Amino acid sequence: MTPRRRRSAIGRDVVALAVAVAACGPVDRGPRYQPAGATTPRDGGVLRFAIPTAVRTLDPTIGYDDVSFFVLHPLFDTLVDYAPGGLDLVPRLAERWTISPDGRTYAFELRAGIAFSDGAPITAAHIKYSLERALATADSPFSQFLVDIVGAPDVIDHTAAACAGIVADGDRRLVITLAASNPAFLNIMAMPFTTPQRADRVAAAGDQLRRRPDATGPFELASWDEGSRLVLRRNPHYYDPTRAHVDEIVALEGIARDTQFQMFERGELDTAEGLAAPDYLFVVSEPAWQPYIHHAVGMNAFGSRMNVQVKPFDDRRVRQALNYALDKRHTARLLNGTTVASHGVLPPGMFGRDASLPPYPHDVARARGLLAEAGYPHGFDAEYVTSSDDEAEKVAGSLQSDLAEVGVRIHITVMAWATYGAAIGDRQGPAFSLASWVADYPDPSNFIDPRFHSRSIQATGSTNDSFYANPALDALLDQARHELDPGSRGAMYQRAERILYDDAPWIWDYHRVTTEVVQPYVRGYYTHPIWLRDYTSVWLDVGSDGAPVIRR
Amino acid sequence: MIGLIMRRLGWTIVVVWFAVTATFLVTTAIPADPIKALLGPHATAQTIQRVRAHYCLDRGIAVQYGCWIDRVAHGDLGESYRSKRAVTEIIAHRLWPTVQLALAAIVLQLVLGVPLGIVAATRRGRWQDHAAHAVGTLAQSAPPLFVGTVLLYMFAYRWGWFPISGYGSGGWDRIEHLVLPAMTLATVGVAYYARVVRSELIDQLGADYVRTARAKGLPERAVIGRHAMRNVLGPLATLVGLDLGVLLGGAVVAEFIFAWPGLGREVLQAVLELDTPLILGVVMVSAIAIAVVNLLVDLAHLWIDPRLHDAS
Repeated sequence: MTPRRRRSAIGRDVVALAVAVAACGPVDRGPRYQPAGATTPRDGGVLRFAIPTAVRTLDPTIGYDDVSFFVLHPLFDTLVDYAPGGLDLVPRLAERWTISPDGRTYAFELRAGIAFSDGAPITAAHIKYSLERALATADSPFSQFLVDIVGAPDVIDHTAAACAGIVADGDRRLVITLAASNPAFLNIMAMPFTTPQRADRVAAAGDQLRRRPDATGPFELASWDEGSRLVLRRNPHYYDPTRAHVDEIVALEGIARDTQFQMFERGELDTAEGLAAPDYLFVVSEPAWQPYIHHAVGMNAFGSRMNVQVKPFDDRRVRQALNYALDKRHTARLLNGTTVASHGVLPPGMFGRDASLPPYPHDVARARGLLAEAGYPHGFDAEYVTSSDDEAEKVAGSLQSDLAEVGVRIHITVMAWATYGAAIGDRQGPAFSLASWVADYPDPSNFIDPRFHSRSIQATGSTNDSFYANPALDALLDQARHELDPGSRGAMYQRAERILYDDAPWIWDYHRVTTEVVQPYVRGYYTHPIWLRDYTSVWLDVGSDGAPVIRR
Repeated sequence: MIGLIMRRLGWTIVVVWFAVTATFLVTTAIPADPIKALLGPHATAQTIQRVRAHYCLDRGIAVQYGCWIDRVAHGDLGESYRSKRAVTEIIAHRLWPTVQLALAAIVLQLVLGVPLGIVAATRRGRWQDHAAHAVGTLAQSAPPLFVGTVLLYMFAYRWGWFPISGYGSGGWDRIEHLVLPAMTLATVGVAYYARVVRSELIDQLGADYVRTARAKGLPERAVIGRHAMRNVLGPLATLVGLDLGVLLGGAVVAEFIFAWPGLGREVLQAVLELDTPLILGVVMVSAIAIAVVNLLVDLAHLWIDPRLHDAS
């Protein structure tokens, strides 16, 4: 090689090395921005967030997944709502309400000046129509929540068009009569499907209703490029202009978790949730991000269910032994500390939960003793089914390892979610599998009844997929469901928790904590236990030019 | 020519029917209930049964197939269980992004792969040939998931040269959003095209007609560009046809990493949730795309090699 060629070759190598070093060198990953320092909420700006899947529908009578709730809640107001960041119910479309002494009749007085997003007034008849639509629509998942209303079964069966127990008494008064008292009824009235709807709009929209929401909330739909970008804008006819502050909420759909966090770091998103493990660990360990992390224990429960009618799980001692064999610290470590150990299906903060009941301790000796008593001194083999989610598979692997310590050898089968869901609700299906539950509303009847009351048992599609039938628990739940005195009701559910704790139809494992990190300029935000990501009332503490202030 | 086209169209219909029927049988054989997945774990058995009846799923397979064929014959591919959106509407919405990504990937493969192959063939045995071989091997070995992640990290996240994800709003913004997903798809193709071009061109450069062209004093550029490459176009056209047909069915990995709203991402979600109408719709579109592209490739071959006119 000539000297000139050698010099140019060396030069090329140096450049290549410099590029490699620049590419691989450390980067400041603290916040790019800082709050501008406003002391009162500032109107304006666009709040941008990402979701990993796509929004299915904007029809409130159909939309029933947590992703849809992120946009349904800003779009649709209901008679009552939850206070920001908490579970207390506050007036929304209803200014006030009364409940009869027997707990069966609810009378709502609608506030004045409430309107749809085109300015048309909202009346009690619109809410009546909405509830009847949920009852009558074949593929609405919400009719089950309204069955207590007098006349509801007739509408579900299409033997009546109108529901006798829902009466629009003038434009501003709605009276609902239940066949039996249900203290959770107000929680049901906070669900988006109860929002007012107009029959003529529903009919005119036809199969396009899923794209044409008849907004009643602080936001209305601006545009929706399905699967890519959904934009909400302020509803100009909303009765409370102080409730929302940003001009637009933008949901970017189908963004993978890793990509979401990279976009967030570059300032292309204002919030990030559901972080992948490395990103989560980075954020919680980086001091600069601490003030901007929000946690909330979700209304959920995770563990492993056992079909208590099938050997060897029909023996309570076996089920208790498996609970003692599980080391919940392993799950907590695998899920990077985003869990709270559970003793039952009711999460922390839930009414009726017995906070003094400790989770099953990890006790290998006790587990072995119980198995020996039950006639399995050498353990046993079992099949275990989990869904094809990388976290579920990790947790199943950890469970396998814990149970092996006491001689229980499980063989894991991974199924796609649709297959898994069908299989475990079948009495002849897998007897031992992953179990999970996410609340529709924060009441113990929404947790314990569907999963453990014997009337929830079906041969297939059983929500009580432990096939657990305990007459004493059934009687307690039936009584608690209609009990109006909160003290007595709470005590009943605590007794129910104790029964389930002792009978252990599940291996109780954890409740999941939702963690979300927001840009420093996002203010007024709370991760909500039910809505999870609710940006209705956030405001952006940015500069007077509308741009975020760069962190110094 | 007309006869060729009619015969191929007939076969296209047969192939598409076969592909879709096979998919239908497979999806109905899976022991899962898409309706239960759709309605969620809180749905009662009565609600599930009502919705199953609504979608004809409470009958036997033959009746379900009949229901479906009847709807397809009327241009109705049904509606997605998941979103209740018409399958035709979903496919129409996703088709153009898929076409853009497929064409961009093919263009990159040709623009980068063909010159690389020509250089390797004309510098056979020298460092350029070895370098092309090494780069090609690396490109073919790297999984698209890895390639896409690295491209995203380097060029979008670290250096900010391109957007991290999304579809863009059109014009240059669309092109900017298209570059990285297209490069992710094209990486393996570039290497493969380069190897095919190199191999075919080496064969052609040893042929008598090339020796004659050189003896006539033609510059090497004209020997390769006007004569030798003409005979490489045939295999290249076949490759492009195969690639294009497959890409028009969607590129799952690239679409997933870059949130490109194509058919691949849509069908991935459909498969995970057993959204049968959408799966069947996309399979039909893919089968039609592959059959049509193969027909166009056959016609291209007739233009490239006039000797095939008599054979057809």
